[in-house]
Amino acid sequence: MKRQLGALGLAIAALGTMVVTTANASGGDEKVTLTVGLMQDLDSPNPTAGYLVSAYELWNLQYATLTDKAADDFATEPGLAEKWEASNDGLTYTYTLREGLKWSDGEPLTADDVAWTINTSRDQEWINHSATTANLDAKVIDERTVEITSAVPDPKLPTMDVYILPQHIWEEQAAGDITTYAADDGVGSGAFTLQQWNPGQDWTMVANPNFWRGAPKFDQIVFRVFTEGSAMVAALRAGEIDFVHDVPSEQFEGLTTEEGIETVIGQQGGFSELAMNGMAGGIGDGHPALLDIDVRHAIAKAIDRQALVDRVLLGQGEVNPILGVSPDSVWFPEIPEADQLNYDPAGAAKLLDDAGYLDTDGDGTREMPDGSQPLKFRYAQLSDSDTAGPNQELITGWLKEIGIDTEVSTYDQTQLTDVIASGEYDLFAWGWTPFVDPDPMLSYFTCAQVTTDAESPGYNDANWCSEEYDALYEQQNQELDRAKRVELVHEMLTLFHNESTYVVLYHDADTQAYRTDRFTGWVRQPKDVGPVLFSNTSPSYWNLTPVDGGGDDGGTSTGLIIAIVAGAVVVLGAIVFFAARSRRQQDDKE
Amino acid sequence: MKANVSNAWSRLRHDRLAMISLVVLVGFVVMAVITPWVSDRDDIRAINTADNPTWASPSSQFILGTDYLGRSVALQIMWGSRVSLFVGLAATLLTIVIGTVIGLASGFFGGWTDAVLMRITDWFLVIPFLPTAIVLAAVLNRSLWTIVFVIGITSWPSTARLVRSQVLSVRSRLYVDRARALGAGRAHLVRRHILPNVTPLVMASTTLAVPISILTETTLSFLGLGDPTQVSWGFILNEAREKGAVDRGAWWYYMPPGVAIVMVVLAFTLLGRAMETVLDPRLRET
Amino acid sequence: MRRRFVIGKILGALSTLVFVVVFNFFLFRVVNDDPINSMFRGRNLTPEQLDRLRVKFNLDGTKWEQFVAYVRQLLHGDLGYSLKSSRPVSTVIAEAIWPTILLVGTSTLLAMLGIALGYRAGWRRGSTFDATATSVSMLTYSMPEYWIGMVALGVFAAGLGWFPVGGLNDPGSTLTGLERILDQLHHMILPATVLAVAYIGEYMIVARSAMIDTSREDYLQLARAKGLREADVRKRHAQPNALLPVVSLSAINFGFVLSGAIAVESIFSWPGIGQQTQFAIAGPDFPMLQGLFLLISAAVILANLAADLLYGYLDPRVAGR
Repeated sequence: MKRQLGALGLAIAALGTMVVTTANASGGDEKVTLTVGLMQDLDSPNPTAGYLVSAYELWNLQYATLTDKAADDFATEPGLAEKWEASNDGLTYTYTLREGLKWSDGEPLTADDVAWTINTSRDQEWINHSATTANLDAKVIDERTVEITSAVPDPKLPTMDVYILPQHIWEEQAAGDITTYAADDGVGSGAFTLQQWNPGQDWTMVANPNFWRGAPKFDQIVFRVFTEGSAMVAALRAGEIDFVHDVPSEQFEGLTTEEGIETVIGQQGGFSELAMNGMAGGIGDGHPALLDIDVRHAIAKAIDRQALVDRVLLGQGEVNPILGVSPDSVWFPEIPEADQLNYDPAGAAKLLDDAGYLDTDGDGTREMPDGSQPLKFRYAQLSDSDTAGPNQELITGWLKEIGIDTEVSTYDQTQLTDVIASGEYDLFAWGWTPFVDPDPMLSYFTCAQVTTDAESPGYNDANWCSEEYDALYEQQNQELDRAKRVELVHEMLTLFHNESTYVVLYHDADTQAYRTDRFTGWVRQPKDVGPVLFSNTSPSYWNLTPVDGGGDDGGTSTGLIIAIVAGAVVVLGAIVFFAARSRRQQDDKE
Repeated sequence: MKANVSNAWSRLRHDRLAMISLVVLVGFVVMAVITPWVSDRDDIRAINTADNPTWASPSSQFILGTDYLGRSVALQIMWGSRVSLFVGLAATLLTIVIGTVIGLASGFFGGWTDAVLMRITDWFLVIPFLPTAIVLAAVLNRSLWTIVFVIGITSWPSTARLVRSQVLSVRSRLYVDRARALGAGRAHLVRRHILPNVTPLVMASTTLAVPISILTETTLSFLGLGDPTQVSWGFILNEAREKGAVDRGAWWYYMPPGVAIVMVVLAFTLLGRAMETVLDPRLRET
Repeated sequence: MRRRFVIGKILGALSTLVFVVVFNFFLFRVVNDDPINSMFRGRNLTPEQLDRLRVKFNLDGTKWEQFVAYVRQLLHGDLGYSLKSSRPVSTVIAEAIWPTILLVGTSTLLAMLGIALGYRAGWRRGSTFDATATSVSMLTYSMPEYWIGMVALGVFAAGLGWFPVGGLNDPGSTLTGLERILDQLHHMILPATVLAVAYIGEYMIVARSAMIDTSREDYLQLARAKGLREADVRKRHAQPNALLPVVSLSAINFGFVLSGAIAVESIFSWPGIGQQTQFAIAGPDFPMLQGLFLLISAAVILANLAADLLYGYLDPRVAGR
């Protein structure tokens, strides 16, 4: 009986090993490979279905766009289109494609592909395209010329950064439900195209010889998915991988001093905020004190944002009070120091005192000027964030010091979204990541986005509404003169900052690191402050050059082999011992 | 009944392991109770630890070192004992109450009530306990009461089974029949005859349920399903792991909470088994 | 009689499965009904696009329509799409299941050493061996398996560096064939041992008390009276009879080991069912959690059914009753 069990178990173990082995097998060769470690798998290589950062990186590599973005400042540059011309009314742009463009499979890339992508994505509302193409219409003039007309003045033009898909592959898919297509064809126009994806483990992209900038200077990129930050960092140290993205802060600290490894704290406008319920939608039960701008300013001044960055982010972030509407800091206004609402607990207390919020019953918590209720705010935080807990502990502590009490509840993202939609909160902490163009993020705080029906919530999660802001928004949305538009956005963001409905706690960062002995030519986007990969268009990939004779991948050390053998002996020994025992018992019986 | 208990106690007193366990448990309970008097909860709030060293190894100032925010690990364990013991006991209480009520109802009423209740009990017995607790906790709010509820709702079936079988055996005994013949009401029957007879075993099973509740609480907290505003032993381990204590070799951060868990769980288990042996004649080793 | 027993057990298991399906659906859809808004926060999508996504994730229509659709999908082996990765849940589970079978299978085998220890301890009740084995078992039984994992990682991986810190293979490994299998074994030693250590105590304790119960039976006295050697009495008579409780324990334990694997797999980054569960908790990824819970429950229900039937087969008294 027991022996049979043992044999069965062994068989299961062997079978499992085999299956796992075959699933993992991938050929080794002498190609020059950039190996990127990250902690997020792909969701889908299909740009009409996927939505994770990892997938955007894949599309950035695989699909070139009509216009490219400068590494330094996201300025619009020629891409697949070598030039363009605007009509007099600024509504129509005529793009001329480069000569001899080809897809990676050798098929010609023509104006038909461009027009098909723009028109179909508009008609079918592809999730990653339609924000750009919703009002556009594309017309093929000739093989290399396409005319794009916007139904409304669009300040984003002539930037055309949607992924152009190969019509000869995708047309067939668009006939049915395009989002279900596996998109494993690997045909693209970018620097690298997808060769193989082993879900949960890695994906490989190979150089595209037909890339319009010319073939990349190395053969392939392997993206390897890690589930544990420490393992990823260990692999970088050991030279098994060349680059790591999104290193957990504890591990990142240790890398900054490492020889031969360069660390990058890359900012892309992503930020975390403490939001206060403005109740503009008329639903919910936010605390009335939060409608008083003095209370909101007092809360902002009670928070030591530098301490949050130092202690919670371990310095891997930046104190910046401006709503991060774009990775490009040209959109951020300068706030005069006097208006910055910097850490000043005494000033915060004075604001509250002067406005009549006093602790009349001596319990340490202030009351409303009419004495009706104490300044006790519900504070909602996320459960699955490793900064939410420490942030909350510090912020509620500081608020207590100025006489504001809090009651903390913890929710997962779905629950918190529902709580916010219902308006039944006072404060919550969350964050956003912007697109390059500031328009989407700016639009979230217009009155139109305030939730009035909890069943269909808008994006304006602080329920804040200002006619002045809305008027400015409409203006910038149609302003075709970039300098004027920047001016308008500055005005909006200053207004938003001074209202203090959001306290922007900090701008967080992508923590990245790379080995210096393998490749050179890493480019930060935007200049000086951005990340080197996983940036908006990730120009590093086509800039990288392998270092001659640089670090050799792989190679099993003797120590490892000894450890493997020792380990195997232990496991096998246990099994043999087990089997032997049962045999001996068998013998005893004879 | 009273004689039964004092008799059991005198036998228990001679069980050395049980007595050591009892002493350990009393020690932990005392720690949980006196913690608010001997320390200040504010001392382990991050806002007050800005000047403490982070990741400090044990020293005379911090006998079990500090964590990533400079908070004393020893103090966290002391405050954590309150949460862990509270959840362990409250969840057990809920388990026992649900289990006893269902077991009593099932055994006493018999018939289809019994059939339905036992079917449900069987369902809960077979469905794996921890995954059920995980999915329940995942959809509910993160709070201590959620944890208590989740443990209670998933772990009552064995108590229900135990109580039911006891009720059946008591009921079949002559004196209950006689009481019924004398016209005693059902409530009277339950109170005077059945409850006193099932109580000792329920006590033993309570003692054995506490360690399971405590382990479940730590596991749920460890998986990130606990209440992050309350420090429990499982939560300390969760933070230690998330912040890379193992890689840093910060043993003072993840060893002590584990040792505390093992001591409490082991003590409850040993005591419970000893009580079971003393109270259940069939288990007594002659 | 016999057939009735088998059919009864199968029907019981089926009813449990149905209960799990219903519980599983309503738990997730009633308490937390619409994750789409939070998933696509800040994606600049129109309400129409969000509605189409609801259709994709089977979140449109009334609860009852959703339930019918859910059951219909289940019958086709379709578990829906993961909210996080938007990949089919069944695909993710199919990938994750082999590493878990490998890990749980190996550690169960190792933990079964506890049965042998338990028999020996039970037979020589009161001996030093018994005392030692029992105390060690009680100790390991009291340890949370994930904590054993942390300590093992701290000592053997981070400290001594004998074993890798986690994963199924070395990252970036291009090993093939035997080398690859050895590499996987190397990665599996720590997690498998940790799980085995956590559950060996339970096997030992149950096997021990089963042996104690059996050793009191009259027929053993009879066998002794017939003049059989003590060792023969144990092997021919006591051990086979003490097997019964151990069989049912193995089935129940299967559930525990699978559950224990949740925390241990996430500590060791073992790409199995447990790690997927840990991933799905954060978010949370409801379709993933639903699928995983269904799978784990179904596996445990089947294991219990198998144990019941085996028990009935080994001990006809049970089935005949």
